Formats: sequence, structure tokens, C-alpha cells
Amino acid sequence: MPLPELLPGTLDMLILKAVSLGPLHGYGILLRIQQISRDVLQIEQGSLYPALYRLEHQGLIESEWGISDNNRRAKYYRLTSGGKKRLRNDRARWDRLAAAVGEILNATPEEV
Amino acid sequence: MLARIRSLGRALAGRSRFEEEMRIELRSHIELRVEDLVRSGLPREEAERRAQAEFGAVESVREECRESRGLRWPDEIARNVRYSFRMLYRAPAFTAAAVLTLGLCIGANTAFYSIVDAVLLRPLPYPEPERLVEIGTSVNGQVIRTNQNGAMWEAIRDHAAHLDVAVYSGGSLGVNFVSAGAAEYVRQQRVGAGFFRVLGVAPVVGRGFNIDEDRPGGPPVAVLSHSLWQRALGSDPAAVGRTILLRGEPYTVVGIMPAGFRTNAIADVWTPLRPSRSGEGGGANYRIVGRLRPNTTWPEAAAQVEVIGHSFPGRLEVGPEVKATLELVSMQEGLTLYLRKPLLVLWAAVGAVLLIGCVNIAGLLLARAAARRREIATRIALGGGSAAVFRQMLTESLVLGVCGGTVGVALGYAGMLGLRIMARDVYGVTQPIELDARVLLVTAAVSVLASVIFGIVPALQSRRIDVRSGLMESGGRAVARGAADWQRRMFVVTQIALGFVLLVTAGLLIRTFTYLSGLRPGFDGTGVIIGTVSLDDARYATSEHVNRLFREGVARLRELPGVQAVGVGTTPPYQRALNMPLRRPGREGTSQITNVTYVSADYLQVLRIPLLRGRYPNERDGSKSAKVAVVNEAFVRTYLSREEPLGADLNIAGGVWGVVGVVGDVQQSAGWGNAGPIWPTPQVYIPAAQLDDGFFRLVHTWFPPAWVIRSQLPPDALIPAVQRAMRSVDPQLPFSGFRTMEHVRSQSYAQQRFQAALLAAIAGLALVLAVVGIYGLIANSVTERTRELGIRLALGSTVAQAVRAAAAPGVLLAGAGVLAGLLLARLAAGVMAALIWGVKPTDLSTYLAAAGLLLAAAAGASLIPALQIARLNPSRALRYE
Repeated sequence: MPLPELLPGTLDMLILKAVSLGPLHGYGILLRIQQISRDVLQIEQGSLYPALYRLEHQGLIESEWGISDNNRRAKYYRLTSGGKKRLRNDRARWDRLAAAVGEILNATPEEV
Repeated sequence: MLARIRSLGRALAGRSRFEEEMRIELRSHIELRVEDLVRSGLPREEAERRAQAEFGAVESVREECRESRGLRWPDEIARNVRYSFRMLYRAPAFTAAAVLTLGLCIGANTAFYSIVDAVLLRPLPYPEPERLVEIGTSVNGQVIRTNQNGAMWEAIRDHAAHLDVAVYSGGSLGVNFVSAGAAEYVRQQRVGAGFFRVLGVAPVVGRGFNIDEDRPGGPPVAVLSHSLWQRALGSDPAAVGRTILLRGEPYTVVGIMPAGFRTNAIADVWTPLRPSRSGEGGGANYRIVGRLRPNTTWPEAAAQVEVIGHSFPGRLEVGPEVKATLELVSMQEGLTLYLRKPLLVLWAAVGAVLLIGCVNIAGLLLARAAARRREIATRIALGGGSAAVFRQMLTESLVLGVCGGTVGVALGYAGMLGLRIMARDVYGVTQPIELDARVLLVTAAVSVLASVIFGIVPALQSRRIDVRSGLMESGGRAVARGAADWQRRMFVVTQIALGFVLLVTAGLLIRTFTYLSGLRPGFDGTGVIIGTVSLDDARYATSEHVNRLFREGVARLRELPGVQAVGVGTTPPYQRALNMPLRRPGREGTSQITNVTYVSADYLQVLRIPLLRGRYPNERDGSKSAKVAVVNEAFVRTYLSREEPLGADLNIAGGVWGVVGVVGDVQQSAGWGNAGPIWPTPQVYIPAAQLDDGFFRLVHTWFPPAWVIRSQLPPDALIPAVQRAMRSVDPQLPFSGFRTMEHVRSQSYAQQRFQAALLAAIAGLALVLAVVGIYGLIANSVTERTRELGIRLALGSTVAQAVRAAAAPGVLLAGAGVLAGLLLARLAAGVMAALIWGVKPTDLSTYLAAAGLLLAAAAGASLIPALQIARLNPSRALRYE
């Protein structure tokens, strides 16, 4: 089954959401998004890291080296306070957008 | 924003760590994925392949990550810089030529800017220096001087309510200083009450002068410099109140200035000026410094000062029928009144040579760009993007600029060390001159600016390269190369034009120097040394004491073996003399001005100043006999041309003197008139024995008398003997400053010599650069046109014709440059008219010589590469690529 493509700009939000639940390394972020979305959303692996680097560059997430479950050195990302704020804003915008799109799609001839 | 800068900074600072961490992170991602895939049942090999495929191209992900981190520009710049260094390294001749050119030009500018900055630009070392002003006298809107007489000082003091003012004397004098038995020769400057307050610098110990101390007859008090306090008083904290001896008189120390404090003159000790309307204050010998009072604006104060000027027109002291006004000038401007113009003119010349250097390098770069068309076209064809190529070309220029700037700083430092000494000796600059952060910052800015100037045209050129033709044509096959060649020609014309301007101005300054050094001295200075000793001393306050010293001193010196003749007089040739108003009995009302020099009986004979009529002064002209004077030819020309000079009466310095003789002119340095740095000034010689106490006190305030000694001995052998002899006459007089007459003479036009030498060096550099520019152009065109020339030769053209055809553009361009430079040179000569003496700014021979020199150099520079054609083998040339 072909997977739905992400809307532009949503990847950042998903990453922020994923790391807001607890520090994660890059691969972990990928898995968590897939897991929560029940494999509906598949993120292209190559595009994850530039996004992570960009978010860290913007000060929305920060990273720290740690040891992964299988005893490997891994870089863990966590949300900063700026990232929390951004997630809140993005979320509110997304909700408004989704609601508005939903309204339109649910519109019946009587309402017009 | 801050976070981004910090993150970029971290990434740049720990670049290798950034790369390493990124590598580990991406690899660990893939390994985790492989393990997951293996766990889900895939064979390891297949799992690895899948994980790799899912991830995509690792290198492009890395590049994207770098970009996310803001590293794209720094990376490209670093790449460009590396590439530039490689390119420059591969073209050593070009690089050496460009870096050397730039280094010389930037070095000259750095060195000269260090002087300009110290003298004209750097704020004075006082608090709020922009509120410090001086009072200038201005004629036709041009400030001609910033010294005033005592009457004007009183007017300013009483009526300039917007200013906190103080009076001071601009120069300092060497005096004898004695403290606790130790004697020293120090520099004394006289300043009025409130001087330190106005400058805004308080003494570290004690106080400045008050009004009671700063009036004639006030108590003798002194303020010492920090270094004199350390040196002579051992930093005694109780120095205030101690007594020191200055010029044989006791002074009470009232204050010590802080370390590093300096005024416009080199000074170790300050004493009250005691301004008055008569004597010294009868002439414009005071400077006035003021500070704008709080809440006062410059225009308010300026308007007030102008009104004062109109209210007291008689105190402005300019000639009759000259309309003068008072004008407020900034203190810095006031102090550098006579330095500003020469420095700016020389600065412009030094700047012009940098411009020539830039144009030269631009030409070299264009030639290189032409040779690099294939390389550039290849880069564009491979997807480099013409904007990227443009950035790359500009980076190359900047790298060149920075290399040139670095060489320039080294050369500039050496130049600054030399110029520093000359600036002090020639211009009397007391400000510290150094390559400080200000100067280096300007040098850096100049280097970058220069690289943009010379880099922009070639870089823009690269954007127009047509990839197809760039790849098709091979190196030098093209016959004519439109735009680039046209631009190079324009560059050569510009170089020649600017070079011509510099050659003309250098020529005019050299002519000025030769004019001044060639002036007939009017006396015989060979074997004459002069020594001065200050008689501004309490023990020499009367005519009787002064004349006894002269009699005994002359007699004692005459006895020395090897000494032929000895005399004393106030002002030897080439020095500045006392000038005084002159009145003729029966012709009151017309005020005239003349130099006045007192002389011992033999003075004129010692210097062998020829007697033209009448007699020299002699021993019999004493205080009891009739008052006599000897005048020079210039005096007769100016004031006695329509009457018999012998027997004419002159009213000078409160007495009437009868002219008994006329002598030849000598060159004097004049503080008045407008005939040049040295000229035969109207001069009156009066026997010292006939002058009164007041005259001696007046003249000795500024002029120490000079003892002139004619001898066959070398100066080194003579001077110790003279000093011993004079010590036996008065042990407390420190004889100093022995110079040969030759030295005095060359010192009198040192500034002109300095200017001529500096501009000659600059113009020489410009000439070399112009020659290199033309040579490069012609050599390049000969190489490029080898095939075309081969065809011509094969078709029957003679070698001479081909050489002419190749060389002609160089000479033609030089001609065009000279024509373009003609107008510029005329303008430049007009601007620097004030620096030129004895030659007109339009002097034809100078212009012709400059043009001839340039054209000859251009012809040589064009012919040498063109002659390569003679060695051309037509059959080989046809196949030349």
C-alpha cells in the first residue's frame, strides 16, 4: 500500500512531538512516529537528519550523547523550552487548519 | 537568532568533531536499522543492503545536514580560499607581481596614513576634544593664522562669554633648569591662567596658574611635567612648594601634570605667560584656546567671536586695506593650520599610486581571465554556476588583497619608522606616530577595498563567458578579443594619466627644491659654525651685561687656535628673524615692516656679507655715539628706492637710526610676507652696543643670539674648545645647538626636500607600474596574436611592419593617457600652488619632461615585447596554438 506523503512542514512538528514524550535518538524518532501512527506515516530516512540538524540549529531541540538500549553510542534529542513553545503554536495552527479543512470536506449542499 | 549563531560557531570551532559526530550518528542509525531487519528475519547481507537503500545517499544527507547547520557559506568560502591559494601558487610570476605591487602601494599608504592620522584625524588627547576651539584670523574666508596680539586676547577674554578661554604661547624654548644642584636643559612653554582647566586636564599634584600669577610682575611659579618631576625631583610627593631655578631665577613649583599629558609643543615645564598689550603682546604672538561652555553650541560661539572681530578691527593686525575677520576653528585644525595642506596633497599622491596599483592588477587579472576562459567555461559547463564562478574570482582577488595587505603592513611599518623621524624634524609633529589599531584597521579596509576595485571588472567579465565558444576556442586562437582587451586598454590609459599627474607634481616639487637650494646665499658659509645660547635670563636683563658678555666672549673665542673670526648676532641666515614695524620720520601713518637683527661689530665681516656702499658697523659705534644702522639691498629696494639710502633715518624700536651702509642680501626664513620659505627679506642691522635694555629683553624672549665662528678646524675639534672658552666667561650659560652653516642652510628647506623626495619616490613607483602595465598588455597581445602575425609575415609583411603594428598600441595608449592626464595635472598643480616656489604651476618644461619620460618609457615597454616577433618563425607561428 502506498503510504501518504507528509504535508510540507509537518515533519518538524512530528519530530518535536516525538521528542516531547522523552529523549530519543534519530532512529528512535523514526520508530516512534511510525509506531504511533500505526505505520501510516513513513518518514524518508534521509530527510530526518537534515531536519534534526535544522531544529537543533534553531534551538528548538538539543542533543546529548548517550548509550542506546543495545549498548551503542547514540545522540539523544530532547525538546528545549523554545521547542515546547513552537510545538504548542504549530499544534494550534495545525488544529485550526485541520478543523477548517474538515469543515469544508464535511460541507453539505444545504449549508452553502 | 542567538542560538543559530552559537550553533554555527560551535560547528565551525569544532569542525572536525562536528563531522566525526555526524558520521557516527548516521552510521549508528543504519546499524540499528540493520539489526531490526535481521531480527525480522532477513539475512544480514540483505539487511545491510536494504538499510543502505532506505537511507539513501549518505554523502548528500551529510551535505544537507551541514547546510541545516548554516555551514554552506563558510564551507564554500573555505573551499574558494583553498582553491584561490592553489591557483595563485600555480602562477608564481603573476602572484609575485601582484602581491609586490599591492604590498608597495598599501605599504606606502599605511606609512603615510599613520602620519595623517596622528596629525589631522585622531582626536586630541583631551576630554571632549570636539568642544575645544582656537581663534583664527581669516581673510577671504581662509584662516591665515591662529595667533593673536595682547589686545585681541583681552577682547576675547572679556567678550567671548560662550567660551572658557586661556591664552598660551605656541612654542617652547630650551632653558636652563636647576634643582637641588642638578642642572638640565629643558623645554619651557608659557601658558596663561586656566590653560590646563580649558584643556580639561588637572594636575595630579597641586594646581595650575591663577590670574594673579599670570600678570606682569606676578610671582614666579611653575608646573612640571610628570617625567621632569620623576627625573629631576625623584617623584618627590612634596614637590609642590619646592623651589627650582629656571634661567637663573627661582620659581616655586605649584603643580605636576599627569603622565602622558602633552600640549602642542614639546615641553617639560610650564610657566605663566603673563600676557600684555605691549612688548611681546604688541604683535600676534599669543594663541588662544577655548572650550565651548556647557549648553553652548558651536554656531553661537562662532557668531559671538565674529562680532568681536568686527568690534575691534584694529586688533586683527593684517595689512592695510585687507578685510579680515575672526573665525572659530577647532583646536585640532588651528594647531595643524600649516600642516594640513602639504599633508593632504602628499596623501592624495600616495592614494593615487594605490589606485594605479589596483588598475595594474586589474589588468593582470583580466589577462589571466582571458587565459582561463577554458577553465571557467569548463566549470560552468560542469554545473558550477556563473554566480559561483563570480564568487570564486572575487575570492581570488580578496586572497590577493589580504596577501598584499600583509606585505603592505610589513613595508608600511618600515616606512612609518622612517617617516616618523622626518615628520618630527620636518613638520614639527609632536603627536605620537605609530601603527596602532586605528591605522591597521584602515589598512585592512584599504586592502579589501583595493581587492574589490581590481577584482570586480575581471570577475564580472567571467559572468559573460559563453560556455560553448569558451570550450571550443583553444587558448590563443582568437584574433581579437573585444571587451576584455578594450577594458585593458582603458586601464593602461588610466594608469598613464594618473602617472602623468604624479610625475608633473613631483617635477614641480623637485623644481621648487632645486630653486630653493640654488638660491644665492649672499654670504660665505664655508667653515662657519654657529652656536646658540639663550639670554632670556635674569642675569642678562640689561644692555650693559649683554654687551659685556659679547665683548668678553668674542675676545676669548678669537684667542682659540684655528679661529679666524667671531661675531654675535640675533639671526643667522636662513633663520627666522625678529620683525618690527618701521616708521620713517616725516612719513608717519604708513606702517611698514622689516626684519631687525642686532650684530656685534664684526658679525657681517665674519659671514662675508659683501659691503655695497658706505661702511660696516665697527667698534666705535657705542652707546654714546650716533645711532647707526646698516640695511640690505632688499630693504633699499622696498623702502628707499626713491632716495639716497645713506643718511636716511629709520624709526625702529623707539629710536631713530641713521643708515651708514648698504650690504648684500642674504636668504632668511620669514614669518611674514608671501615670497616663499626663504627669501631675501628687508633687513636692518643695528650694532648691539647701541640698543637699550628693553630691546634686548624683547628680542631674547624668542631669539637666542647666535655666535658665528669662522675657522679652518673641523667642527668636532672646534666645538669642545668653544664650549670651554665660553664656560670661562660665564660657567652658568649652557652653550648648545652647534651647527654648521651648511646644516642650517639645508634645514631651512627640509620640508620642500622631504616633499620632493617623497613625491619623486611615489612618481617613480607609478612610472614603474605604468611600464609594467604597458609591457603586460603588449606582451600578451603578441602572444595571443602569434598566429595572426605569422599569417602576416607569411603574406609578405616585413618584420619591421609587424613590430610596429604590435608596439603601436602601447605608444598610442600612452599618448592618450598623457592627454587625459594633462587636465588632471593642471588641476592638481593648482591645488598645490602653495607648496610650489620659484616655478609656475603651469611650467611648460616640467610638463614636457613628464610627458617625454612617460612616452619614452611606454615606447620601451611596448617595443621590447614586440621585438619578439623578429624571432618568430612564420611556419611555426601558423601552427601556434
